[in-house]
Amino acid sequence: MAEVGEIIEGCRLPVLRRNQDNEDEWPLAEILSVKDISGRKLFYVHYIDFNKRLDEWVTHERLDLKKIQFPKKEAKTPTKNGLPGSRPGSPEREVRKTLDLSLQPASAQASGKTLPIPVQITLRFNLPKEREAIPGGEPDQPLSSSSCLQPNHRSTKRKVEVVSPATPVPSETAPASVFPQNGSARRAVAAQPGRKRKSNCLGTDEDSQDSSDGIPSAPRMTGSLVSDRSHDDIVTRMKNIECIELGRHRLKPWYFSPYPQELTTLPVLYLCEFCLKYGRSLKCLQRHLTKCDLRHPPGNEIYRKGTISFFEIDGRKNKSYSQNLCLLAKCFLDHKTLYYDTDPFLFYVMTEYDCKGFHIVGYFSKEKESTEDYNVACILTLPPYQRRGYGKLLIEFSYELSKVEGKTGTPEKPLSDLGLLSYRSYWSQTILEILMGLKSESGERPQITINEISEITSIKKEDVISTLQYLNLINYYKGQYILTLSEDIVDGHERAMLKRLLRIDSKCLHFTPKDWSKRGKW
Amino acid sequence: MSKLSFRARALDAAKPLPIYRGKDMPDLNDCVSINRAVPQMPTGMEKEEESEHHLQRAISAQQVFREKKESMVIPVPEAESNVNYYNRLYKGEFKQPKQFIHIQPFNLDNEQPDYDMDSEDETLLNRLNRKMEIKPLQFEIMIDRLEKASSNQLVTLQEAKLLLNEDDYLIKAVYDYWVRKRKNCRGPSLIPQIKQEKRDGSTNNDPYVAFRRRTEKMQTRKNRKNDEASYEKMLKLRREFSRAITILEMIKRREKTKRELLHLTLEVVEKRYHLGDYGGEILNEVKINRSDKELYATPATLHNGNHHKVQECKTKHPHHLSLKEEASDVVRQKKKYPKKPKAEALITSQQPTPETLPVINKSDIKQYDFHSSDEDEFPQVPSPVSEPEEENDPDGPCAFRRRAGCQYYAPRLDQANHSFENSELADLDKLRYRHCLTTLTVPRRCIGFARRRIGRGGRVIMDRISTEHDPVLKQIDPEMLNGFSSSSQTIDFSSNFTRTNASNKHCENRLSLSEILSNIRSCRLQCFQPRLLNLQDSDSEECTSRKSGQTVNNKRVSAASVALLNTSKNGISVTGGITEEQFQTHQQQLVQMQRQQLAQLQQKQQSQHSSQQTHPKAQGSSTSDCMSKTLDSASAHFAASAVVSAPVPSRGEVAKEQNTGHNNINGVVQPSGTSKTLYSTNMALSSSPGISAVQLVRTVGHTTTNHLIPALCTSSPQTLPMNNSCLTNAVHLNNVSVVSPVNVHINTRTSAPSPTALKLATVAASMDRVPKVTPSSAISSIARENHEPERLGLNGIAETTVAMEVT
Repeated sequence: MAEVGEIIEGCRLPVLRRNQDNEDEWPLAEILSVKDISGRKLFYVHYIDFNKRLDEWVTHERLDLKKIQFPKKEAKTPTKNGLPGSRPGSPEREVRKTLDLSLQPASAQASGKTLPIPVQITLRFNLPKEREAIPGGEPDQPLSSSSCLQPNHRSTKRKVEVVSPATPVPSETAPASVFPQNGSARRAVAAQPGRKRKSNCLGTDEDSQDSSDGIPSAPRMTGSLVSDRSHDDIVTRMKNIECIELGRHRLKPWYFSPYPQELTTLPVLYLCEFCLKYGRSLKCLQRHLTKCDLRHPPGNEIYRKGTISFFEIDGRKNKSYSQNLCLLAKCFLDHKTLYYDTDPFLFYVMTEYDCKGFHIVGYFSKEKESTEDYNVACILTLPPYQRRGYGKLLIEFSYELSKVEGKTGTPEKPLSDLGLLSYRSYWSQTILEILMGLKSESGERPQITINEISEITSIKKEDVISTLQYLNLINYYKGQYILTLSEDIVDGHERAMLKRLLRIDSKCLHFTPKDWSKRGKW
Repeated sequence: MSKLSFRARALDAAKPLPIYRGKDMPDLNDCVSINRAVPQMPTGMEKEEESEHHLQRAISAQQVFREKKESMVIPVPEAESNVNYYNRLYKGEFKQPKQFIHIQPFNLDNEQPDYDMDSEDETLLNRLNRKMEIKPLQFEIMIDRLEKASSNQLVTLQEAKLLLNEDDYLIKAVYDYWVRKRKNCRGPSLIPQIKQEKRDGSTNNDPYVAFRRRTEKMQTRKNRKNDEASYEKMLKLRREFSRAITILEMIKRREKTKRELLHLTLEVVEKRYHLGDYGGEILNEVKINRSDKELYATPATLHNGNHHKVQECKTKHPHHLSLKEEASDVVRQKKKYPKKPKAEALITSQQPTPETLPVINKSDIKQYDFHSSDEDEFPQVPSPVSEPEEENDPDGPCAFRRRAGCQYYAPRLDQANHSFENSELADLDKLRYRHCLTTLTVPRRCIGFARRRIGRGGRVIMDRISTEHDPVLKQIDPEMLNGFSSSSQTIDFSSNFTRTNASNKHCENRLSLSEILSNIRSCRLQCFQPRLLNLQDSDSEECTSRKSGQTVNNKRVSAASVALLNTSKNGISVTGGITEEQFQTHQQQLVQMQRQQLAQLQQKQQSQHSSQQTHPKAQGSSTSDCMSKTLDSASAHFAASAVVSAPVPSRGEVAKEQNTGHNNINGVVQPSGTSKTLYSTNMALSSSPGISAVQLVRTVGHTTTNHLIPALCTSSPQTLPMNNSCLTNAVHLNNVSVVSPVNVHINTRTSAPSPTALKLATVAASMDRVPKVTPSSAISSIARENHEPERLGLNGIAETTVAMEVT
């Protein structure tokens, strides 16, 4: 039984949490931060295997001190002991440094070092549940963490990626976070590619963004999502805004967002509903509203049906709105990065009209030019509007745009859990709609190619396949692949479509795609 | 299940898939395991999150129920929509327009202050409102301005008053309040702002820094890692080729111009011959007229030069005044005029002598000729986009980054290096050329050595410097100086409130008051306008010379005057290069004059100086017979020779521009190296505010030489012949070039150590030289030898470039 005072960052222990069914649970959690408010200690806990958005500050009463596990790495890495009350963030940095120093030997040994560790890692990788049994992992050993790059079944593919980190495939970078609890492991993996790149392809140090210690400090410049977690600082792992007031709504942020630091201490951050400008207080907002005459997003309306409208905003032309929107969105999107400016993006803001104006419901951003067929960068339905079909509407709209452009598209990765569910649901319904709408011609069995589905829907081929797979529609029969629509699939689809009332009407879309390559980059 | 032992074909996206529904579905049990053949698609999620409890639960629920179940939804933090004051907050209604909303670009920037008042401000406002009326918006604008005007450092109250157009009391109140509030403020500004990146990369990992600028990266095809490197190499190659082309083109142009000059000179001589202008009177008249015209020509011609050449000889050896140059200038000027149409912009650009005044001064006109052979020899090629630098580019906070499309020029270090054999001289030099003896009109007193420059907004700034001679200088009564100036007719021109007695160059600092005075008296009462200066100089000289003929020279007791004389002598010798007899006689005369002067020199120190200087030079020079020859003489030779040879005018001009570019753009007076140029530049700038800086600077380089010019032209009876000889000299340049080998040799030798890039330049330079060389130039080149390496290195194609963009 540990004392409350002994609890430090990195400790793991069961924490009381009430689930959706109002039952008490004691999931294992990690202490990310400790703070002292008027003599009372508060602990920021991350429930392991739960999404970060559920992380919260708890009092010690909710901690099960009997089952506390102290971070093992503390003992191993002496650098950390010297830092009283250090947050996990700082030790990680220490580790990173050591890692850097040892990188040369590490890579030198890589050939000789070989399998023991890799095997272990692969195992863990495949059985994620096991992680709980090995709290902390042993990422503090630079060797093991850096060598985990080579091992495991994707090694060849990853090698390619290591050399050209500018085109990361999210699924490949994912292993970088095999040890989700430990930032150092992530860092280690993230540091490696940069190093390799530097030595391999750039003889000149043209990449001035690299900081002096050789760690690539600037992420890639395309896309809007973080694919490696190299910048996953402890700061960004914790929510920093308590509450946001936006129009009628009060939102509890899910994730970190880089609003000005001095505003993070406020109990409520007040946002102008229309221009999304942030203010310290209600009074500020009030004053702002006397000066702000916006009643809709400051862009061109390109779609309107009923009360639903879409506005297109150019991230280059309307920076302040784009930035404000991104800041707000970051509160609800874990992997979104605000590292770079908004210039290369277009923002499509969905609004609902009432007598006060066009209220933002959600939005998605889109690269003006995507090298990877992304038709969506970030997508978000604001929490008050969630689970009411708006998300699917946004997705549908994004594919409508792709249809106009005559391209297929896919959302930028990584997807969030909600993103995955929404997209899968949209894909399923869209594809099933097509399949079920096929009429048999002249008594023959209707048939369709995957390419055709892709063309009709603008859903990228891979997504079509994965959806068919997910729905278990593809089967092999008599030497060929067939699609089978079982009864419960059909029933389920029909029921779902009954509920899906909000649809995009392509006739209401007034949109001409621009060729951004011709008008200069961004 | 044995039938599944075969391997299923890969799923083909192009192959039609028959769709089986409901009852006609085959027995799928047999097929299930074959699904392996279809590659598993990644979900697109981060692996760690993919396994999250709630997601897994939701997925499995969906699998099972084919539908979402309420309890299986992924939980999220709550959101409330019950802000009850919403309607009060967002007042009014907005009617949806029938048309789609179309926003006008850049319509969004309203003038509204970014600062929003808070309740604390409101209390202040209420309090203030008891005394005066202040509206919230007014208050916000004030705070907004204050905030935006101050970065880390708060604006002062004074600045605030300038910033805010309000009642003083109100400003004070708001200002004090603001200062207090800002001190208590936790953030960097009262207007909360997203943290900005810092260029030094220190914020690269700061999570609160957002929306960093994207540094552009070239796009090459992905998966070809070599592309970027080879692309860079190709770029570099291309750049180097184009540089070579530029150099060659410039050479070509220069040669053309030279040929033209030659023709024109011939023409002029012919014309003069027909007119019977043996004395040069007509020529002078023409010149004067022309100089007036040139005034107007100037502004337009400023920027035509792409290739900036540093006019080295002048800037570099300003103290070595070159008579030759003057002589040649005279010649050249005539040429110029006719030349103009042909040479077009390039040539015209050189002529601009904004300050030329209607005084009979050849020197004036000459001043603006920047084409000495020297210049030609060191064409300042747009500084190579120097690769080493690029690569080593230290990524400092203010790291200089090249921009595409900009031409960068090599730093003009040449000016920085005046190698004096004599350190004392060097000291003097510094003092002299950077700062000159200055007198203020109001209050009327001499403030010692100072230099003048134009600050922001046209304010005149005097940089004063303390010297050992300050006590002496203080004694100088401005009236004394004034007297001289007035006598020299130049007062009229010096319209400025300040008048500089630019005893600068020629007055020895160590002199006593009387000496200084005598120096001044002897001719150097200068005003800030370099134009005027020259005029004055020449004027005074003229006057005196006319009065007393050669005795003028005698009057010049000071070392400076000696220098002048020397130069003049040299100039004569140069010109005489063609007619030996003339040359000889001139020289003898001059020697005599100098001797007289020397004799008059009262200070031994000084005489020592001069003699010291004289000897080495004299030995080296072919004209060793003149004992009194000094450094100046040598330089004069040099400069003159430079001028004699046909220079490419445009380059000289361009060089000037560049010069100004340096001075102006940097906004900082360059270190000692540029002293002379700067000094004169400053004067020029200050004196004629109306004229653009660039033009002014052009004149700068030559101001120094100009001082001497008058002496040459006016003082001696031989002037006219001299002019003639100049002309002839120019005409016969090619013949004279026999001597050139020496010259070339020297040049090449000095340049040899420099990198390949330099070689090109030097080759070009040496090519230039060949035709230009005059007998004296050989000497001059020797004299210059010391300086040359540096100059070459710096001006030719330097490895280092100035962090400055000239676009």
